[in-house]
Amino acid sequence: MPRSTTSTALKLVILLVLFAAIVAAFGLYQPRFLQTSLVSTVLQFASMLALVALGQALIVLAGGAGIDLSVGGIVSLSAILSMMALQAGAPPVTLPVLAVAIGALLGAVNGILVTRIRILPLIATLGTLFVYGGLAMALTAGGSLSGVPQWLVPFGRGLVGGVPYHFLALVLPAYLAAAVILTFTAWGRWLYAMGYNERSAHLVGIRVDRIRFFAYCLSGALSGLAALVSLAWFGSGRPNIGLNLELESLAAALLGGIAITGGSGGVIGVLIAVLMIVTLKTGLQFVNVSTVWQVGIVGALLLLVLLLDFLIPRRRA
Amino acid sequence: MGARIAGSIGGRELTLLVAGLVAMAIFAVLSPVYLSAGNLYQVVRNSVELLVVGLGLTFVLAIGGIDVSVGMVLGIAAIAIGNLLLAGADPWVAALAGPLVGAALGAFTGAVIVFGRIPAIVATIGLLGVYRTAIFALLGGSWLSGLPSSLSDIFAARIGGFLPASYIVILAAYLAAFVVLRRTPFGLHLLAVGNAEERARLAGVAVRRVRLAAYVVSGTLCGLAATFYIANYRNVEMTVGSTVALDAIAAVVLGGTSILGGRASLLGTALGVLLIRVLQNGFTIVGLPSLWQPVVTGVLLLAALSLERLAASGGVRRLAFGAP
Repeated sequence: MPRSTTSTALKLVILLVLFAAIVAAFGLYQPRFLQTSLVSTVLQFASMLALVALGQALIVLAGGAGIDLSVGGIVSLSAILSMMALQAGAPPVTLPVLAVAIGALLGAVNGILVTRIRILPLIATLGTLFVYGGLAMALTAGGSLSGVPQWLVPFGRGLVGGVPYHFLALVLPAYLAAAVILTFTAWGRWLYAMGYNERSAHLVGIRVDRIRFFAYCLSGALSGLAALVSLAWFGSGRPNIGLNLELESLAAALLGGIAITGGSGGVIGVLIAVLMIVTLKTGLQFVNVSTVWQVGIVGALLLLVLLLDFLIPRRRA
Repeated sequence: MGARIAGSIGGRELTLLVAGLVAMAIFAVLSPVYLSAGNLYQVVRNSVELLVVGLGLTFVLAIGGIDVSVGMVLGIAAIAIGNLLLAGADPWVAALAGPLVGAALGAFTGAVIVFGRIPAIVATIGLLGVYRTAIFALLGGSWLSGLPSSLSDIFAARIGGFLPASYIVILAAYLAAFVVLRRTPFGLHLLAVGNAEERARLAGVAVRRVRLAAYVVSGTLCGLAATFYIANYRNVEMTVGSTVALDAIAAVVLGGTSILGGRASLLGTALGVLLIRVLQNGFTIVGLPSLWQPVVTGVLLLAALSLERLAASGGVRRLAFGAP
């Protein structure tokens, strides 16, 4: 697949150029933007999106029109349900496990809808987005749930050498593990194979449904981790914390070079794209552009990258 | 063709009708005020916009497309209408401006999807973000309120003291859509594209033009819905249209239009809309906070799709033992 490699590399170069242009533009407009704390700020805000976008990337990569629109709903609902479990008397130590397990469970529901009942991913996860997000709002009547254990808060706000704990402890290992698994293990090759051509993958004995189910569970678990980061960071469970994450994670995955048709792309690009999107949002905030512009700008970015994708020669014309 | 028309009033429509009546009977038992004229009028009034948006979305789903930005198109068109009314425009001019703005946005959405060759779901998620920002920017952080009642006098007037006048337009739109879908080459092409795009292309159907047209139809109807929205509520708030897409998609899918394209039921869409509004209203009447509405609609959508899939292939065995 030499041509797909070229196009992936080309996308990465375009991404890096775009990233540099964004940093340079804000730096020229407002030199104070380029202070050292910028890195800490961006990484602090990047962790949640990075975790969610990784799950999204794996699902899109696995093909079969794979998409997970429910990621934001999972983040909100895992945060709310794990806090409710604590208030109902679960030991506080279990909070991290609870958040991730609930996320994985909600992802498993998506996996069953897609691989067993065979509902199109876009409509199945659109349904669960509203069910999960709606439940998070309905169960709390829109209010926050306080009572995150104090020992967790430093994890959400602390820095090591300017880098947030959660970025070091969760995001970097997750991306490293994903990159290693995708490149060097059979599971990774299967994921690419089924994304590239599902029928052939099935014919050579790859258990397509099982891997896809696992991908949805993993995306759920990663969203649960993002929920944990939000709990540690804000000290409370917010029912709308996952808002717009479906848009931002898709934009990050596709900007990062994952082909929307599946089967091509890597996760390092996704991490760079996440950092770029967060830098852009931070910069806009820095120059006092109202936050309501962010969703539109990310939306436009998503459309632009896909139109660009159309201009770069594709291997399956 | 004959079989298809006969099949258009089939089991699905009957099921929806029965489900709706059963639900109404249960709510009537649970709440003494449920069957009051005032409450039934609420259901009828709240269904207006969704009936129109759902009709347009039926065309989009029929070609195998989807549009999650419909609520935002409604919102932008509503802002245009509201501003025209505030500027003292003739109500009929304002009423026509809605569909015009909707058609333009629908054409843009369709062009991005068809000519940009972007999967409809991804494109409309991106556009949803862009349109939402546009709504914030156009409203400038405040509601559009205190609109003159000139549109309301036309479309919200009650026929026989009950049915809003907009239902005359809605009925006409459904009849026109029925004729277009079942009696014109365009309708045939639409379903052919949804059924098997490549075969339709080989048979000489102008696939791209047909797909684009479906989005223009949908956008136009979103704009018409905006006209009725202004007539009904006489204000535009920041969160305008945020639940329209889910409700409309659920209604169309419940109505039996295939999410994969190639199959459309207009009567089903109308009944799906009414069922959703009956349930949302009923649950609210019996004391469920309105925050639960998206949960109810989402579960309804997934349950309907699951039952459909399970009935079509292998039943519950698939759930237990996996695909054969």
